[in-house]
Amino acid sequence: MLVPISGRAAGTVAFMDESTEDGEHRRSPLHDRHLALGGRMAPFAGWEMPVDYRESGVIKEHTAVRTAVGIFDVSHLGKVRITGSGAAEYVNGALANDLAKIGPGGAQYTLCCDDATGGIVDDLIAYLYGDDEVFLVPNAANTDEIVTRLADAAPAGVQVADVHERYATIAVQGPESAELLTKLGLPSGHPYMSFLETAWRGTTLVVCRTGYTGEHGYEVVLEAGDATALWDALLDAGSEFGALPCGLGARDTLRTEAGYPLHGQDISLAVTPVQARLAWAVGWKKPSFWGRDVLVAEREQGARRRLWGIEAIDRGIPRPHMSVSDFSDRWVGEVTSGTFSPTRQVGIGFALLDQPLGEGDEVRVDVRGRSRAMRVVKPPFVRVTTK
Amino acid sequence: MYPEELSYTTEHEWVRVADDPAVIRVGITHYAQDALGDVVYVSLPEIGTEVEAGQPLGEVESTKSVSDIYAPVTGAVEARNEELDDQPDLVNSDPYGDGWMIDIRVADLDGLDETLAGLLDAAAYQAMVEKE
Repeated sequence: MLVPISGRAAGTVAFMDESTEDGEHRRSPLHDRHLALGGRMAPFAGWEMPVDYRESGVIKEHTAVRTAVGIFDVSHLGKVRITGSGAAEYVNGALANDLAKIGPGGAQYTLCCDDATGGIVDDLIAYLYGDDEVFLVPNAANTDEIVTRLADAAPAGVQVADVHERYATIAVQGPESAELLTKLGLPSGHPYMSFLETAWRGTTLVVCRTGYTGEHGYEVVLEAGDATALWDALLDAGSEFGALPCGLGARDTLRTEAGYPLHGQDISLAVTPVQARLAWAVGWKKPSFWGRDVLVAEREQGARRRLWGIEAIDRGIPRPHMSVSDFSDRWVGEVTSGTFSPTRQVGIGFALLDQPLGEGDEVRVDVRGRSRAMRVVKPPFVRVTTK
Repeated sequence: MYPEELSYTTEHEWVRVADDPAVIRVGITHYAQDALGDVVYVSLPEIGTEVEAGQPLGEVESTKSVSDIYAPVTGAVEARNEELDDQPDLVNSDPYGDGWMIDIRVADLDGLDETLAGLLDAAAYQAMVEKE
């Protein structure tokens, strides 16, 4: 368990649960593997997951993904299967992005917005199997909410099934990821944002060309009972490529560098896609989706604030909830997440900033009483090589 | 993991009396560096800064969290580990050696023995962290 260093700690884990409840946490089918590998376990979104592994640590794991390959257990991610006549059409009328932009076998980053406010209920990946089947991967903490909203609104004949714990998900990310999958006899040549089903050792794997690191990579979904076999095979075959098991700590530094917002920090029910600069993930031409009316109006008027990247000009690491001011000491917004960039060796993060602040502006961030100069940038912070 | 010759605070600092008996060296423990994870910044006061027992004198920040470093005694900063500016990971790799943080010239030398007696010895510190 990760604990603050003292009762008077100046700050705690940046991306972890802000709740401190000691309730029962769900465990991944790979839980015993994490313990055996020296995983430092911590609660995250109702799950007990590895932050990092004692032998490597966040920075080595991060570097493995940028230069070789990293293997992540992301079984905490939600899995929702929507089936029945017109399933895809139903999902397309609810979620924000336009499923018509992809075909069967394609994956898409999309948003679920609140119909009344346009606020982001969750961001998720939709895997389109066909007109009658869509598989969704929401964030762990939001899975119940997504299932509830989609089930409540589903027309007769469309079923929404929460299959969260039936499947495990293992992410294989980094420049050597394709070689590693090839070595196991798995498909790896399919395009970014597509998926294939394949037979492997008597089970079925869904090999998705998706990820959350900014690197070329895959997310493999399989029956929970088969997860340890694949995990062991990946680590075993991965040693010649410099593969490391990676925890959620590296996942957070990698996604921040890649400029991917995290729901619950950078985006939330209080933030709309227009404010989050996620308008590209909204199918504006669709006749309907949840939140369409308010979002169209906000887009026409212009958002009052926007989500930007910030990077420290000197020292200082932005952390959630730090206040941001301009050089006349006027409050202009708040940091939503931040970390130390192992690649860039500076503090980086996201901040919701009032208009008209934007790219190239300099701001001051209150880092525990010290004013630190930071530059407003358009993420990503590193070159993204997902394709 | 917890050298016998050191004294320990409940805030996870270690204390060693230097060759000059009026100076103590301070760092953070193995337990602390392990809980923090990869250390990326260490903020330490300049030489000559007055520090007060029980008050924060600096910060240690990792990829995922930040924590205060507390002064175990009252005194003035005699030396700071400049190496940590470029190699903060020394705190992880060698917390009791090259990862030391500051030397403090003790203000009340007569009271130092009493102060040190009020800290934890290795066995008591280990027992404390095993409960956390």
